Amino acid sequence: MSTVTIIYAGLFYIATLLLVAGLAYKIFDYSRTPAPLKIPTTPAPTTQTGVVYRMAKEVVLFESLFKSNKWIWVFGWLFHFGLLLVLLRHLRYFTEPVWFWVNIVQPFGKYASIMMVVGLIGLLARRFLVDRVRYISTPSDYLMLVLIIVIGASGMLMTFVAHTDIVALKTFFMGLMYFDVQPVPQDPILLVHLALVALLMLIFPISKLLHAPGVFFSPTRNQADNPRENRHVAAWAARLDQKN
Amino acid sequence: MAAAEFDIPEIKDYIEVPKLREGVMAHAKTFLAPKPVQDFMGYPHELADNWKESALEKMGDLLGKYRSLKVFLDACVHCGACTDKCHYYLGTSDPKNMPVARQDLMRQVYRRYFTTAGKLFPKLVGAKDLTKEVLDDWYNYYHQCSECRRCSVFCPYGIDTAEITMAGREILNHVGMGQKYSNEILGKVQKIGNNLGLPGPALLDTLEGLEEDIEADTGVAVKLPIDVKGAEVLLVTPSADFFSEPHVESLIGYAKVFHAAGISWTLSTHASEAGNFGLFNGNYETMRKVAMRIRDAALELGVKRIVVGECGHAWRVAYSFWNTLTGIGYGADDPFSIELQKQLDPNYPQPQHICELTNDLIQSGRIKVDPSLNDDLIVTYHDSCNVARASRMGTEPGGQFTIPRELIKSVVNNFHNMADDTIYESTFCCGGGGGLLTDDLMEVRVKGALPRVTALNNVVKEHKVNFMATICAICKAQFTKVLPKYGFDMSMVGGVHQLVSKAIKLD
Amino acid sequence: MPMVNIAGKDYEVDEEGYLIDLSQWNEDIAKYMAVEEKVELTEGHWEVVNFLREYYAEYQIAPAVRVLTKAIGKKLGPDKGNNKYLYELFPYGPAKQACKIAGLPKPTGCI
Repeated sequence: MSTVTIIYAGLFYIATLLLVAGLAYKIFDYSRTPAPLKIPTTPAPTTQTGVVYRMAKEVVLFESLFKSNKWIWVFGWLFHFGLLLVLLRHLRYFTEPVWFWVNIVQPFGKYASIMMVVGLIGLLARRFLVDRVRYISTPSDYLMLVLIIVIGASGMLMTFVAHTDIVALKTFFMGLMYFDVQPVPQDPILLVHLALVALLMLIFPISKLLHAPGVFFSPTRNQADNPRENRHVAAWAARLDQKN
Repeated sequence: MAAAEFDIPEIKDYIEVPKLREGVMAHAKTFLAPKPVQDFMGYPHELADNWKESALEKMGDLLGKYRSLKVFLDACVHCGACTDKCHYYLGTSDPKNMPVARQDLMRQVYRRYFTTAGKLFPKLVGAKDLTKEVLDDWYNYYHQCSECRRCSVFCPYGIDTAEITMAGREILNHVGMGQKYSNEILGKVQKIGNNLGLPGPALLDTLEGLEEDIEADTGVAVKLPIDVKGAEVLLVTPSADFFSEPHVESLIGYAKVFHAAGISWTLSTHASEAGNFGLFNGNYETMRKVAMRIRDAALELGVKRIVVGECGHAWRVAYSFWNTLTGIGYGADDPFSIELQKQLDPNYPQPQHICELTNDLIQSGRIKVDPSLNDDLIVTYHDSCNVARASRMGTEPGGQFTIPRELIKSVVNNFHNMADDTIYESTFCCGGGGGLLTDDLMEVRVKGALPRVTALNNVVKEHKVNFMATICAICKAQFTKVLPKYGFDMSMVGGVHQLVSKAIKLD
Repeated sequence: MPMVNIAGKDYEVDEEGYLIDLSQWNEDIAKYMAVEEKVELTEGHWEVVNFLREYYAEYQIAPAVRVLTKAIGKKLGPDKGNNKYLYELFPYGPAKQACKIAGLPKPTGCI
């Protein structure tokens, strides 16, 4: 087995482990931290079903962002929806036989990469062009966008220009999944693509990418507006009642 | 007044997003609370040698107690959606008044001390050590936020800067940098019973005077009862309603409504204040202590209903938090809450807003009004931030917008809304909320009022609006002080019940 | 706390120049505060200042605006018992400016 294969196999095991463990810890941490007060941004749904609907609109349509700024919404939505299709398309490297619906999504996913990169370039351009956004941007904000753009661009290069050996690639990933490491195809573009994906997985749980799980725990969005009807008390706050 | 001179912004045709000008509001520093005030609150009054450790320890404590803080500090992606949403940014153009930048003042410290990335690569992720300069920035800019939540409407993750500001103020208090205005008031409300420090005898004298005025004016003996055991309704209203113009006019309005409907009611000397500045400070226990006065008064007087007067942040605390803090509400199964809840009349929401009460009475015909008595007025309505984005009225989401408007329209004939993106959930704060209603922040207040004044100016030009109704004591005080700076008459602002008061039939 | 020297004596005041110890008040202080506030004291001003001090002595708080206007109206005639007259006397607001001259603490709250 080549050194490159060992490095990439190790990299993906570590990246996956840290991604899963890191996210699991964060989700555990968010869920154990109490929300002592009812703070939904109103008008808010009065029932749990309503909350699910509100959250769905937020996650699928970026409703609040739509209200806020149409440019960020367009670029942000193109990027995220493109990314979703691209990710679904990538499932074919991890399933055997490939799930039927992945085959349906697959051709769309191919072109979704364009949506994704266009969205990302738009978001990056805003960081340079809008003085307010420039002011709040940290180096990591730029680098994160660049990282994902390079991942997307390298992927597109392999899809549209210089095809890589996807059969061998699938063998490599299926091998990783069944702990039977197979050689990674030694295509430089692919190796760049994979290395950057692993890097993204590594930084996910310690970066602003935590917005993905975070949105579901946001009390202004996930609480029902029913404080007069139901008494809502956190454990640490309930102890105060006992003193009276 | 030795207050610094500053330019009054020019009103444009529409609300402009300014180019940013760094540091232009860095000088705006509200007075620090002196020793006696901090002593009473149990806070130090100056920085100790270990202030930094103490601040970080408090921050860790809050991160463990408030999911909002933890999630909001993690989730922001710096997308910029909020950058043009804060009235203080729009009015001052200081970039640290952009919600995300205000949050980042704390987020940079959070990243440095509480996250892996910030511990390893501080420069890369914009993490910063907690220095005295950073702490001073906290003090200045966490007192240029009115906790109005407008940014939270537009954030894709619902990040509410108010939560960060509250945590910031809590940490500042903890290390000895309290704000004089808010903390002095929190002392008075706990020692005397209201924010103004109006002692019982003065309150009685004031109410008697008002009864004389109403009778002289209408010929009807409308009463303003206080500390009456066994009354049906306990009315809790901001103490400014006893003291200031135009606030008093709404108090007279409530009294007339109760009189006309034949509902027995009472005020309470012990709970002669609806406002709860514990909200602004972000300290749960302080907010709870202040709210407990209402519970105590309700139990003491044996009332069946609790109604809240025109006060924006008080309605947030009452509607959203009273049940949690004091058991005023429904649905509890603990002895602490049941003691009170079994006393309350289940036919009414608890607590109930005075607009809900009056509107029900008018719509059901139990009180009669003549809107033509307000024909000299062309009215618009300013949605107060805490009512709009942190509470509800009625049974449907959005009742906090429709009920006050329905009520206004039943007592006036001429009504026009301001521009859509400045009302309802997008309403602009008056500029004086959240503990900023103090003379030492006048520049912040005047400039922060610019977006609202711009929208008002447009309906004045287009529809000849001459009265802006609102249901918040802070809004009323802020506008009476600030509107004249923009060339408007101070008497063009007043309460919704000031309009009710003029239109109601009293026989 | 800052100090001011008035007619050869030092007095403690707060950041906005309000007298800390109300019992120290005298007419020299009132005159000094009035100059600070750019108010020229007339008979009308003194009526207000004296009423504020009497009311404060009884109730430990400045009177509500309405109580003040009514009292002034009774003393000086109904044409003067209104907000407008008080604002003519004390343009920055009777509650705050007149209190300062009368040596009363500044009323604060949602006002």
